[in-house]
Amino acid sequence: MKNQEGQYFSPQQIPEALEILSKYGKEIKIIAGGSDLLVQYHDRLYEIAGWLDLKNLTELKKIELNSSEVSIGAMITHSQLEKSPQIKNYFPILSRAAAEIGSPQIRNRGTIGGNIVNASPAGDLLSPLIAYEAKLVLLSSDEKNIIPAEQFFTGPKKTILKPNQLLTQIILPLPPQNCYSSWVKVGKRKALAISTIALAMVVKMSEDNQIIQGAKVCLSSIAPTPLEIKEVREEMIGKTFSQVNFTKLAQLVEDKISPIDDIRGTKEYRKEVARRIMIHCLEEIYSCWRDKCLPIN
Amino acid sequence: MSKMYVGENIIKVDSKEKVIGKALYPDDLSFEGMLYLKIKRAVHPHAILRKLDISKAEKLPGIVKIITAADIPWVKNFGLIIKDQPVLIGIGQKMRYMGDALAIVIAENKEIASQALRLIEVEVEKLEVISDPIRAIEKDAPPIHNNGNILATHYLEKGNIEKGFAQADLIVDKEYRTSFLDHIPLQVESGLGVFDAKTEVITIWAATQWIHDTQADMAQALGLPKEKIRIIQPAIGGAFGKREDISVHLHLALAAMLTKRPVKLTYTREESMITQSKRHAFIVRAKTGATKTGYLTAWQVEVIGDTGAYASSGPAVVRKGLYHCTGPYNVPNVKGVAYTIYTNNTYAGAMRGFGTTQMAFAYESQMDILAFELGIDPVRFRLQNAYEIGSSTPNQQILNTSVGVKDTIQEAARMANWKEESR
Amino acid sequence: MSTHKLTIEFIINGQKRKIETTPFTRLLDLIRDDLHLTGTKEGCGKGECGACTIIMNHQLVASCLVLAPQADGAEIITIEGLGEKGKLDPIQEAFIETGAVQCGFCTPGMVLAAKKLLEENPHPNIEEIKRGISGNLCRCTGYKKIIEAINLAAKRLTQQLEEEKGKEKNV
Ligand SMILES: Cc1cc2nc3c(=O)[nH]c(=O)nc-3n(C[C@H](O)[C@H](O)[C@H](O)COP(=O)(O)OP(=O)(O)OC[C@H]3O[C@@H](n4cnc5c(N)ncnc54)[C@H](O)[C@@H]3O)c2cc1C
Ligand code: FES
Ligand code: FES
Repeated sequence: MKNQEGQYFSPQQIPEALEILSKYGKEIKIIAGGSDLLVQYHDRLYEIAGWLDLKNLTELKKIELNSSEVSIGAMITHSQLEKSPQIKNYFPILSRAAAEIGSPQIRNRGTIGGNIVNASPAGDLLSPLIAYEAKLVLLSSDEKNIIPAEQFFTGPKKTILKPNQLLTQIILPLPPQNCYSSWVKVGKRKALAISTIALAMVVKMSEDNQIIQGAKVCLSSIAPTPLEIKEVREEMIGKTFSQVNFTKLAQLVEDKISPIDDIRGTKEYRKEVARRIMIHCLEEIYSCWRDKCLPIN
Repeated sequence: MSKMYVGENIIKVDSKEKVIGKALYPDDLSFEGMLYLKIKRAVHPHAILRKLDISKAEKLPGIVKIITAADIPWVKNFGLIIKDQPVLIGIGQKMRYMGDALAIVIAENKEIASQALRLIEVEVEKLEVISDPIRAIEKDAPPIHNNGNILATHYLEKGNIEKGFAQADLIVDKEYRTSFLDHIPLQVESGLGVFDAKTEVITIWAATQWIHDTQADMAQALGLPKEKIRIIQPAIGGAFGKREDISVHLHLALAAMLTKRPVKLTYTREESMITQSKRHAFIVRAKTGATKTGYLTAWQVEVIGDTGAYASSGPAVVRKGLYHCTGPYNVPNVKGVAYTIYTNNTYAGAMRGFGTTQMAFAYESQMDILAFELGIDPVRFRLQNAYEIGSSTPNQQILNTSVGVKDTIQEAARMANWKEESR
Repeated sequence: MSTHKLTIEFIINGQKRKIETTPFTRLLDLIRDDLHLTGTKEGCGKGECGACTIIMNHQLVASCLVLAPQADGAEIITIEGLGEKGKLDPIQEAFIETGAVQCGFCTPGMVLAAKKLLEENPHPNIEEIKRGISGNLCRCTGYKKIIEAINLAAKRLTQQLEEEKGKEKNV
């Protein structure tokens, strides 16, 4: 495609994209699926000085698995996350969260990279990613940075991404054998609903599947950024399931969050629902664990 | 009775065009040399327009004309029942809600028109914004229209309400509130206008639910004889009451007249929500009396309908709601009053049910509460009070044919597997 | 900013097209205003209603959220591309017969969503149908008849397929 004015770039190679960013990063917009950008700039697209379209960067459209981690290209769509056997197998709630985003039309275009960089407090992939201890690869023509996902977000729609950086991959460490997870999204309807509140929980067990070795609970839509309730770790790690008090943990989650009132829900509603979905997630995880440990024969 | 249509599946005449995508809705039409309109809307829900500077916007290449109230001094207000809605707000006049139009921007393309909107500078003197009808009727509330904020009051009386309450063993007195609702027809307001310089006829292609009323209202607002206005209905794209009011029609007509070129105006969805009518938000205060044995003796209501900034069908909708205050239930003694109130909310008008839907929330809730308090199964309670042939409504109409409410309740209970509650 | 032109190429309803556009044009506007294929509708412009649904590169897409240049090299089907040789697609027929069309504004998008759904899942249950059309709003019908239509089309398409198989065997 010829483009005289330099308004629309669609490079085939990452280095070329990075070069464009180092030159024009401050003026132009990176566009992936466009499902956030075209809404934000509805009726005023003319205000945008130019585009860097990632659609031809095949490097960013891969899900790769090695012995210790899975790397997801930033251009992987929600539909692909939903259907990928690897994601379903190792990171089931990431797949589930992707399956509940928007509608088929949105899932087919919207990308994981866009969901992350858009940094909406209601971004549905963010909590599962943090709960699975994702790392983000930020690339510029000068350097490569790999940072834990939770360090990326600084506020609603605000991140540490620099104008010359591209998010290229999302790296997820392979979970241990005995890993359980649960996800609940609460919205006004089943489709096309931005989360009023959502909770992702990942529990990692010891090799003998008896002792809790890792526990991450992360919520969306209750704070300016996705928020991990770190206190849950202390309450769970080192214990067996029978030593964990679900009601107390759920109360802890309710107490630790300070959501705001907005069009999707009130503070009181969100606190109450947070407690209930925490119990729901604990119960789901517990019953998966129990089914695995005590097979019905 | 003939079984030709009722209960039979009739193929609609226009469904083929619609499934192949060939049916033409207003936004699908276009003309050679057509110009595009955008409307500069109010910047505050209640304010006096002090300054409207279009000079920067006019200079934008591609802008053909920007029409303000100063260009059309002959144009009059419009409205379905009361002509209280201005076509454009002029300097020194009041904007009463966010949908009021300040200027018509006419450009070679949509994009330039939207760009120009942002270049129009507006200065206003802000007034108190009244978003609550209860505030609107307080003595010190600023009047939104000259005659104050109570647009209409309707009364209803049947039997003797005091006697009715005296016969009651139980009285339930509650307040219900419903919210505004948008019809959201899937096609937003859209239309085209063409002015024939030879015949001086304006032709408008746009949806309306009252084609002749729209023609007459346009004619009186523009000061033209009706035969100079021709309206052609394209495929409509949903209405639900929202297309009873004039939307794009007058702005299109003026733009076509003043530019002598074909013009098109399509709202954005947000504009449609802000500008065009809503289902009325109601406050219903209902006091209902019943005997121990579960018969209704008295029903008193006060209805406050928020009609927003302009009358539209408001007085008729709120009155209709009042007349349906008891739902399909026999009540010998009824008394009611309904107020249609101006506020600075988006104006409310016709929407499916025309006031009765809001009332249903109130009267069915009353019925449930009464049944609960009396310890009577709610289905049985409804059945023993339901209309039948010969019943009289709150406005004392005698129902003499086709009264299906008992059958309906029974069928609904059957489908819901309702088991009589024994408490 | 908006006067910068670029040329893109794509296949739409089986036809190769080369067309000049701008980086700020939505694919929806290109389809409606430049190609005059007005069967694709705009109900919201923000991905919420599905009236602008097309099939792009074998996927259901909201064309209001795609930039025209993003469609360079794509294969696109709009409602005008359904059916063959003047014959309606069985899905279109089913929509007519079951009364799934009222104002018709949602219909093109809804039919395409149904098309995609039945391609991927020829025997959907009610829940799967609901999910398949969950990106398409209809304000008139209440969906019941649309779901009936998709069910009917699924049955007919299966029948058709079996008949074709039967014929093949006979040959
Ligand atoms: C109708 C509708 C419903 C929706 N429902 C949901 C929902 O249920 N849950 C939910 O979480 N979201 C929802 N969304 C939001 C949106 O679809 C997602 O956030 C999506 O993942 C965004 O991805 P995208 O590729 O479309 O982003 P784009 O719009 O292309 O980009 C978003 C932002 O990210 C930047 N960006 C994109 N990729 C990169 C990259 N690789 N490197 C650096 N910067 C990048 C862009 O510059 C832009 O600032 C919905 C959106 C719509 C329109
Ligand atoms: S117009 Fe694209 S989804 Fe509504
Ligand atoms: S038929 Fe009118 S929106 Fe579906």
